[in-house]
Amino acid sequence: MGIVMWRLGGERFRAAAVAWGPVAGPFKIAVAGEPRNRDLYFHALAPFATDLSTAVRAAADDRVARTRGSRTDRLPANGLQLVVANRSTVGALGLLGRYLAYLSDRSGVSPDPNLMEAGKHLRFYARHSRTPGQALIVPLDRLLSEHWATLLSPLEQANLAALDAQIEPGRGVHAFEASAAAERIARIGPEPTEDIDRVTTELVEAFNEDRAGSVDPAVVTPLLEPISAHYRALVEPVWALIGRSVSRERGLPAAPSVAGRFESDREAFGRHVDWVSDGGRYRTTDTPRQAAMTLRRLEQARSRYEAERAIEDPACMVPYLLDADAIRGTVTNLNEDHRTVVRVRAVQRPLLTLDTDDPIVLPAGKKLWWTAAAHDAPWEVVSVTRHAAGSRAVLMLTTVARNDRLPALRGRATFSTLRTRSEGFPLALATAPPWTHQPERPPAAPEPIDAGDAETPAAAVDGSAVADPEAYR
Amino acid sequence: MAKRSRSGRTTSKNEALAAVRGNAPKASPNVRRLAAFAKVHSCPTAVLAFAAGVDSNRVLTGTRLEMPFGQSPFAIGRGVAFENLLRQHGHAELRRVLTEGLEVDFALAPVENLRQGFQPNRTGLTMRASVTKNHMKEIVTGLPRPIVLDGAVLRAEVGGITAFFEADEMAIGVGGEILVGENKSWPVVDGRPTDADALGSALDQAATYALLGRRTLAEVGVDPDRVSGDVVIVTPRNTGLSPVLHRQNVDGRIRRIERLLAAVPAVSDIAEDLPAGLSFDPVADTSADDDARLDAFAEITDQVGNVYEPGSCLTSCGFAWACRECAFGRGDPAVAGGSVARALPGVATLRRVSELGRGAPPSVAEAPAAGPIARAGRLYDEAVPVPAPRRRRPA
Repeated sequence: MGIVMWRLGGERFRAAAVAWGPVAGPFKIAVAGEPRNRDLYFHALAPFATDLSTAVRAAADDRVARTRGSRTDRLPANGLQLVVANRSTVGALGLLGRYLAYLSDRSGVSPDPNLMEAGKHLRFYARHSRTPGQALIVPLDRLLSEHWATLLSPLEQANLAALDAQIEPGRGVHAFEASAAAERIARIGPEPTEDIDRVTTELVEAFNEDRAGSVDPAVVTPLLEPISAHYRALVEPVWALIGRSVSRERGLPAAPSVAGRFESDREAFGRHVDWVSDGGRYRTTDTPRQAAMTLRRLEQARSRYEAERAIEDPACMVPYLLDADAIRGTVTNLNEDHRTVVRVRAVQRPLLTLDTDDPIVLPAGKKLWWTAAAHDAPWEVVSVTRHAAGSRAVLMLTTVARNDRLPALRGRATFSTLRTRSEGFPLALATAPPWTHQPERPPAAPEPIDAGDAETPAAAVDGSAVADPEAYR
Repeated sequence: MAKRSRSGRTTSKNEALAAVRGNAPKASPNVRRLAAFAKVHSCPTAVLAFAAGVDSNRVLTGTRLEMPFGQSPFAIGRGVAFENLLRQHGHAELRRVLTEGLEVDFALAPVENLRQGFQPNRTGLTMRASVTKNHMKEIVTGLPRPIVLDGAVLRAEVGGITAFFEADEMAIGVGGEILVGENKSWPVVDGRPTDADALGSALDQAATYALLGRRTLAEVGVDPDRVSGDVVIVTPRNTGLSPVLHRQNVDGRIRRIERLLAAVPAVSDIAEDLPAGLSFDPVADTSADDDARLDAFAEITDQVGNVYEPGSCLTSCGFAWACRECAFGRGDPAVAGGSVARALPGVATLRRVSELGRGAPPSVAEAPAAGPIARAGRLYDEAVPVPAPRRRRPA
C-alpha cells in the first residue's frame, strides 16, 4: 500500500490530506478541509483508517507454520508493506498514529474504533522503521540512497525527486542539473512549503466561512471540492514518482538475505496484530528494561544488516577493505591436513595462505570470517608478512575442514570482521532493573493527547505581516 | 551593524561594507542569525555578507537559485498564537509554566519587555544593550528574586567587528543565576520533541545567547558562569497550545559556538582586500536578468572565495544553491558532501579523483590522498566491472 501525506504547516498531528492505494494503481484521498476541527478530521480519516485496518488484518490472517527446534510459531504468510516517499512521512505517520491510538471520549461518545486501531498500526510501523534492513515500511528516499551511488550529499538524498533525477536524469541532461531542477520544482511533503500553504490558507478560510461552523457531512462535503482538487494536484506527481521508483527497484534482483529479514518483519507484524487484536496497549515511553532490550535488538539488527549487505554486494565490501576491516586476495596455498594442539589433543585445523594486492597490517590471533561462510566458524590470523607489492597472510580455520568452509585454491577470497550470526545466546535481562536504572517515577501509562482538540484553531498569518517570520520556525 | 568609531579606519571599513551591501536586502542582526551563521563561519562570502548586514536568504529572490526559506502561514500563525498565549493576561501562562517547571514562584515576578519604550533604530538598540547589561548585573548581584527579561540586546565580536544582537529568547533570573529561555511552537509528546532538528536549532540559539550573556557579565566584572549552562525550552504539550517547560544543559554547544565564532576570519582583512566596486547590489537587482545576477554572485565568490559544505550551507545560508552550482562548475568534490570532501584532501576536482582512481600520477598536494583513491579505484573496478565498450557488429 502506498501512502502520501500532506500536513497543515506547523501542525504535527493534522494531516490536511492523506492519499492511499496500491502502488502504481489509483489512489483514494481523504481531505478534512479544516483538519484542526476534530469532527471534520475524524470523518475524513475514517475511510483511510478502515482500509488500513482491514488490510492489516487481512494480511495477518493467512498464517504459515515455522518450526525452530522444538518450537513452532505461526507467522503471517505475508505482511502489509507500506511504501512512502521519505523518512519524514514515516515520522509524520508515527505522530498521527500516536494521536489516534489513544483517543478520549467527547460528550460520552467514543471515537470510531477503526481510527484507534489504525493509530496503533501506524505507531507500530513508525517504530518498526527503526529496525535496520526492515521492509514493512519502505521510505523510498532511504531505499534509493542505499541502492544507488549518486552525487547527492546525505542531506540532499532526503529529497526523493532529486534522487530520482540523479538516477534517471533524462537524455542529454547531466544528473546534477536534473536533480537541482527537480529539487526546485518538486513538492514531496509531508510538510508544506510557503507557496503551497498560501493557497491552502485562502481555501481553508473560504471553506470555514461557507460551512459557517457546520460539521454536517451533507453541508461540508460539497464545499470540500476546491481543497480536494488542491491536494489532489499535489499528490498526483508524488504518487507517480513513487510508482516510477518502485517499478525501477523491482527490476533489480533481491539479495539472498532479504527473505530472512522479511521473515523477522513478518514475525514482528504477526506479534503486533495479535497484540492489538487482544486489546493490548503499547507503552508510549519505554521502561529502562524495554529500552535496553530494544537498543540491543536494534544494534544486533544493524550489525547483521551491514554484514549481509557487505557480504552479498562486493561494492559494499570496499569501505571495509579500505578501513582494514577486511582483506582480499588470492588463495595461494591450502593445507587441509594441518594439525594443531587445542587444549590437550592435536586436531585438524586447515591453514590457508592469502596473497593480498595491497599491504595489510593485522595482529596475530585476529578473527576473520570468510565471506562465503560468514555464518560459520572464523579464521584466525597466524602471521602477516610483506610479499611483492602486497602482503602474505596465513590464516587458520578455528574448526575442522569441510568443503563449504574452504575457499578454492588460486581463487579470490575475502575475509572480514563481519559475521551474520552472533556467538551464543544473549542473556536475558533481570526483570527488576538495578536501582541505578530505576526512574524516579515509572513511565506513564498510554494516555490520550487530544485535550487540545477543543481549542480554537490559530489564524493563519502571512510572513509579510510579521517583523521576522523566521522567529517562528 | 558595526560599532561606530571616530577613527578613520573603522569609518572607512564601515563605508566599504555599506558599499558591499548596496541596495541588497538588509538583515537585522539577531542571536538566531548569529547561531545560524556559526555553521557557515568558514566561508569568506558568508562572512562578508554577514559583516555587511546582507540578508543572504533574500539576495537571490526571484532567481532560479532562490532557496525556499519561507514559512507556511499556518506555522507562523501557530507561533504567533503560542507567543500571545504566553503573554496575555500579564504573562499569566508564562508565569505558571516557569513556576511549575523551575519550582520558584513567578506569580509576582516582574517581566521586563525591553522591546517596548525604545526607538526601533541603532540608538534604541544601543540603549537596550545598556539596559540589558544593567539588568543582568542586577539579577546576579542584587536580591535573588525571580525576573524575566524579554527582548534583550547583547554585544558580540564577530570577525573583529563588535555588533549588537537582538534576542528572541528570554533571560530568566532565578536565585541570582540567569537561565536562557526559548519559546517554540512545535509540540512535545510523551516528554519528547516532535521535531529533533528544530530542537537542535533552538538549543543552538539558546547556547549562543548564553555565550553572549556570559561575555556581557564578564565585561561588568561579574562571574560569567552565573549565566547557567542549562537552558529552558517552553513548548506546547500534545495537540493543543498548553505550554510545558523543559530544562537541558547546553555547555557543549556553548563551547562549540565559542570555538566557531573565534575562528571567523577577520572582516577587516577581507574588507581591505576587497576589489573596487565589489557589491551585492547587482546580485540583488530584481530588474536584471537571472543569468546576470547569478554571474555577479559567481564573481563575488571568485574574488572573495567561498566554502561550500552541503550539510551546513543548505540549512543555514540562502546562497547555498548558488554556491552548489559554482562548486559543481569547478568539479569541486564538496558537492557530494563533507565526508567525501574530507576523504580527498588536496584533490581539487572530481575529474582528478577519477583519474587518480585509474592510477594517474599524483601531484605533491594530492599525494596523501592518492594511494587510498587508487586502491579504492582498483577495488571498485574488481567489485563492479566496467562493461567493455560495445563493438559494432560488422555489416
